[in-house]
Amino acid sequence: MHIYGAKQLQEDVFGQDLCIGCGACIDLCPYFKSHNGKTTLVFPCDLSEGRCYAYCPKAEVDLDELSRQAWDGPYTGRSLGNFREIIATRAGKKMSNGNFQAGGTVSSLVASALKHHRIDAAILTDRDGLKPVPRRVTDWREVVRCAGSKLMVSPTLAAMNHGLRDGFSCLGVVGTPCQMTAVAKMRGNPMSKENFADPIALTIGLFCNWSLDARQLASFLSEKTDVSGIRGMDIPPPPANVMVIETGNGQLEIPLSEIKPLIPPTCFICLDMTSEWADVSVGMFEGRPGWNTLIIRSEKGAELVQQARDAGFLETGGMPVDTHMHLSNAALEKKQRSLRTLIRRELINNNNDKRSALRVAPGIVQKILGSKTERP
Amino acid sequence: MTDLLAHQEGARCLLMGNEAMARGALEAGVNVAAGYPGTPSSEIIENLANAAQNGRLYVEWSTNEKVALEVAAAASFAGLRSLCVMKQNGVNVASDFLLHLAGSGTRGGMVLVACDDPGALSSVNEGESRHFARLVEIPLLEPGGFQEALDMMKWAFALSEKIRNIVMVRSVTRLSHASGNVVLGPLPGVDAQAVFRYNGNILDPMEGPVISMPVTAKHGLQQKKLRQAVALFDASPFNTYTGPDAPEILCITASAGYLYSKEAIDLLGLEDRVGLLKLGTTWPLPSRLLAKYLALTHQILIVEEVTSFLEDNVKILAAGMGPEIGVKTIFGKTDGTIPSVGELNPDIVIHALLKITGVDYQGVPADYTQRAETIADTGAPARDLTFCPGCPHRASFWSIHMALQMDNRQGFVCGDIGCYSLAIFPTGFSTLKTVHSMGSGTGIASGFGKLGPFGMNQPVLAVCGDSTFFHAVLPALVNAVHQRSEITLVVLDNSGTAMTGFQPHPGLSVDASGNAVPGLDIARICEAIGAGVRVCDPFDLETTRQTLFDLLESRGGVNVLILKKRCALSPERKARKDFKMSVDQAVCLGSNCGCNRLCTRIFRCPGLIWNKEKKMTEIDEVICVGCGVCASICPSGAVVKKEKA
Amino acid sequence: MDHTIHLPDPFNLIITGVGGQGNVLASKVVGNMLMEKGLNITIGETFGASQRGGSVMSHLRISPRSGFSPQIPKGKAHLVIALEPTEALRVLKDYGNPKVNVLCNIRPIHSIGVISGDQDYPLLESLQKWIRELCEQAWFINATDAAITLGNPILGNVIMVGALAATRMLPLDRGRFESVITRTMPAAKVEINLAAFDRGRKMIDN
Ligand SMILES: Cc1cc2nc3c(=O)[nH]c(=O)nc-3n(C[C@H](O)[C@H](O)[C@H](O)COP(=O)(O)OP(=O)(O)OC[C@H]3O[C@@H](n4cnc5c(N)ncnc54)[C@H](O)[C@@H]3O)c2cc1C
Ligand code: SF4
Ligand code: SF4
Ligand code: SF4
Ligand code: SF4
Repeated sequence: MHIYGAKQLQEDVFGQDLCIGCGACIDLCPYFKSHNGKTTLVFPCDLSEGRCYAYCPKAEVDLDELSRQAWDGPYTGRSLGNFREIIATRAGKKMSNGNFQAGGTVSSLVASALKHHRIDAAILTDRDGLKPVPRRVTDWREVVRCAGSKLMVSPTLAAMNHGLRDGFSCLGVVGTPCQMTAVAKMRGNPMSKENFADPIALTIGLFCNWSLDARQLASFLSEKTDVSGIRGMDIPPPPANVMVIETGNGQLEIPLSEIKPLIPPTCFICLDMTSEWADVSVGMFEGRPGWNTLIIRSEKGAELVQQARDAGFLETGGMPVDTHMHLSNAALEKKQRSLRTLIRRELINNNNDKRSALRVAPGIVQKILGSKTERP
Repeated sequence: MTDLLAHQEGARCLLMGNEAMARGALEAGVNVAAGYPGTPSSEIIENLANAAQNGRLYVEWSTNEKVALEVAAAASFAGLRSLCVMKQNGVNVASDFLLHLAGSGTRGGMVLVACDDPGALSSVNEGESRHFARLVEIPLLEPGGFQEALDMMKWAFALSEKIRNIVMVRSVTRLSHASGNVVLGPLPGVDAQAVFRYNGNILDPMEGPVISMPVTAKHGLQQKKLRQAVALFDASPFNTYTGPDAPEILCITASAGYLYSKEAIDLLGLEDRVGLLKLGTTWPLPSRLLAKYLALTHQILIVEEVTSFLEDNVKILAAGMGPEIGVKTIFGKTDGTIPSVGELNPDIVIHALLKITGVDYQGVPADYTQRAETIADTGAPARDLTFCPGCPHRASFWSIHMALQMDNRQGFVCGDIGCYSLAIFPTGFSTLKTVHSMGSGTGIASGFGKLGPFGMNQPVLAVCGDSTFFHAVLPALVNAVHQRSEITLVVLDNSGTAMTGFQPHPGLSVDASGNAVPGLDIARICEAIGAGVRVCDPFDLETTRQTLFDLLESRGGVNVLILKKRCALSPERKARKDFKMSVDQAVCLGSNCGCNRLCTRIFRCPGLIWNKEKKMTEIDEVICVGCGVCASICPSGAVVKKEKA
Repeated sequence: MDHTIHLPDPFNLIITGVGGQGNVLASKVVGNMLMEKGLNITIGETFGASQRGGSVMSHLRISPRSGFSPQIPKGKAHLVIALEPTEALRVLKDYGNPKVNVLCNIRPIHSIGVISGDQDYPLLESLQKWIRELCEQAWFINATDAAITLGNPILGNVIMVGALAATRMLPLDRGRFESVITRTMPAAKVEINLAAFDRGRKMIDN
């Protein structure tokens, strides 16, 4: 993986409007700060190599390298990435009811992991009105407080950086695919620090097709409602074609056509829909409200799920082939769409010192672009 | 400060130009003096304020220069002698009143001292006050030495009473701030009585109401008096000629230019070829005197700072006297013999004379100069100006810069004049984007804040100092509130006019001479005007930044944030270090990723040392004043502050 | 012993340093001491930037005559007193000549560019070598460290005045120093300033 410094990050990521605001570079040092969903370089830094660049999921991401590190093999381009099993899940009896986005799988897994000391703290995303707020949680009973998706970019990984600085060495992190990419880059110890011990014990990835720009959404919604009273948001499956906002006094439905312009352009270069670098990935279960789709990827992930189920934190069910195929198709479409954008914007596999957002073996690019979505 | 009353008549003292002028005013029996601080003028009022503690003399630092001139004028109208002091751009501020005052005339002797700053040694302009004398048609005097600075003040008061109008005395930094030997004169007894008479005829200069109307009649009277002044100037002892009876070149000069010219002629050994006409009365020009000396030769060199004031006026005179004195070749600013920007020095005059005479001169062997330049270029790193160690402005601009960067909407700050103007440089994180006259930051911000309908959505901030707030920010702030402009004004309140040496201002409860007076509360004033007001300690970086975020995000009108902390140089803070600072070398990240020398590379407090060998930050005990702010910015907690017992 | 000192007319002295080092005070004290000796003094100085880390310079013109410019012509300094070593070089560039003398405090004050790493501060050995190369006679002392042992680094300026007296470049004696300091300073500070003056005198051996 090529590593550069803050100056290049500024050029490559901010200069090309690619920052998603994941928080990976925030508070590693005094120079990158996040405020209201925007990441800024507050003072120049002249180091030629730095962790900010090394961790950023939008700068010189080498998928082969991430894959070798996570799965001991090159990146294959499979639509859903490397996995062991896909099942349906929801919160078990042991979990108190929360304002879960769907089945509450994420909250349940995190709570179980904390309860059983698989991790000593979890990096989650709370909300303050509309605004997503990174949160470090150490008590398993407090996990549900962060339930519910904030469909916006959140600097969640800043809380991971704070956790590391505060001496936590066994962290669990929940985040979007871009955030999982940053975590994966970080776990590869790209700056070759001596005595490096991987401080991340668990990664729970979310599914994600796109997110919304926090500032634009806030100013958009502030014209329709009091944003400080917002309690939740959801995008029900097609054919609804709306975004639903839960407020103190009822629901607000907004046509997706009005929402889509608020998607940051960087989501259109994102290949990953299902958090391929996480131990487990969780998304909605299309057609079965109150349930989640759970992709178990790593051995650690499998153990986690097993333990959560045994301890009554998680309830599991089967996954129909149709649903699986649907998911796979959606993931492939995202890959194809984003690859085309990457190629058009010359952000991929550049040579001759021209830096890239992404590096993928050219054969795999061809393979993905040539794949057909499956019909049941 | 020298105690100007301590010395007796005949004593020989080493006085600063400003002190000499202050003593001159005292010897003239000045009763009232007012001014607004501004380098290089401040020491005049300061010294008088000091003297006022022991005598019947009233001295004040006024809110601004216009008010100062009005205050001094009142004394004159009441028959007292009064003095008003300001720096060059202060005259601009006072000029509206000055025009009307010149039209109405004065009674007791009244002198305006304007200290210009050629080369802008401590200004953001090298504006000239001399032109105002011509513009408003009043006499202009320029001392060309220290003794003269004293003597001329006495003469100026007398002149003012002769023509019943204000007289302007113009100094420059190199006189005001230079020192020389002065023999003191006697101090008069003070027994002035203040009465304002107004029942006489409107045209009666001593008994009628004091107004500039009827305008043309009064104007005519004013010009008549000015012509009387010219007659006095022709015989003035301040206009001197030294040199041969038939010089090849006549050098006409005034003020510090005289000292430079004299030195240049001396060094070149041109005493027999160049005549030196030094003028102390530079407007209106003494025409008979000039006719006499202009007739001596056809080559004229005019040496003055900064623009071609003397030169233009001499040319006009010479053109009028053509048949009498013949055609002249005039060297000066217009033909480029003397540069028309920056201050002069002996060498500039030397080079002007070399150009005209063609003589040879080398001050130093060329190889020495070359070698010295090479060495200095590598061996003497430039010293950029910086906020002092412990300066509240560094902390304030840190927070402002940080808040604006993080806010990430291309917000910007409009500034004005004060120590904080340095924030255009890296010492203030290059935060200021406009700097003009006093108070202009707020006025400009008020304008920017109305550009929303044209698509401007950048947050607009202004900063001002506490003294500036009263001087010229108030009207701009009123405007911003009234016009519903969307701005945030940050008042950098360091409790004094720090840049010029802690003169008091209306916000403080002490006056120029140390008497207790009511201090006005900036926060309450702003509230009364209708602005939202917050107050923070700028050393509390976190709270300050958070407050700035609140203000940047709050919609609706004008917000004021007062960042209150005493200046690091204030006597109160200079006396003690709050903390003993040290750097834990085991913790310091130095230039590694994770810090990259935030403290020395960006924060840049002069109290820090970057130890290149150890790659560690250290504290410079000699310079650090123990404010503790660097401990708040260090990302690793390496900077340790220990409370001082 | 003063009559042994032969002064050029005018004698041009430059006292240079960094804002905050007490340049102005040093020039005032020296000026007053010489004036009491019957000489005419002109001191030119800029102190606009004096407290804000900038270079500060005082030009002293010392002569039985008066009316000299507050700025010394280029290359015409007879003696440079530098409260900071790089400032000596800066002054020599403009006002030095092969015959100039230098009295230099060797304690560096890093400019903000050096602190930030944009510039390098030269090695003390190089500085001394360069200064020697550019002058006829040089004295180097560490006035700041000596001042710290007296309890306050600011006394460095007065130590330099004491050292200047000991160089016998100018007619300055302790009695005159005492009378000037007693006249111009609060009583409480007289003693420590006298101690600083004496310390400075001892630091020059001749
Ligand atoms: C921006 C975004 C886009 C998504 N897009 C899709 C999609 O297209 N298809 C799909 O099937 N699922 C999507 N999801 C995932 C989905 O919304 C649910 O998070 C997921 O199904 C888990 O549900 P749950 O009931 O287990 O979650 P809960 O138990 O309610 O827990 C939700 C967890 O998500 C974390 N979280 C919430 N908001 C954020 C955020 N902004 N950034 C990082 N972490 C956050 C919280 O820490 C919390 O632990 C998206 C999620 C996000 C945040
Ligand atoms: S290189 Fe390191 S110190 Fe510099 S901005 Fe990046 S993370 Fe911060
Ligand atoms: S690491 Fe995340 S927040 Fe930082 S620049 Fe990259 S995308 Fe933006
Ligand atoms: S689409 Fe990709 S870049 Fe955008 S929020 Fe989702 S995972 Fe991140
Ligand atoms: S900011 Fe702190 S860690 Fe960084 S160089 Fe300075 S003292 Fe060291």
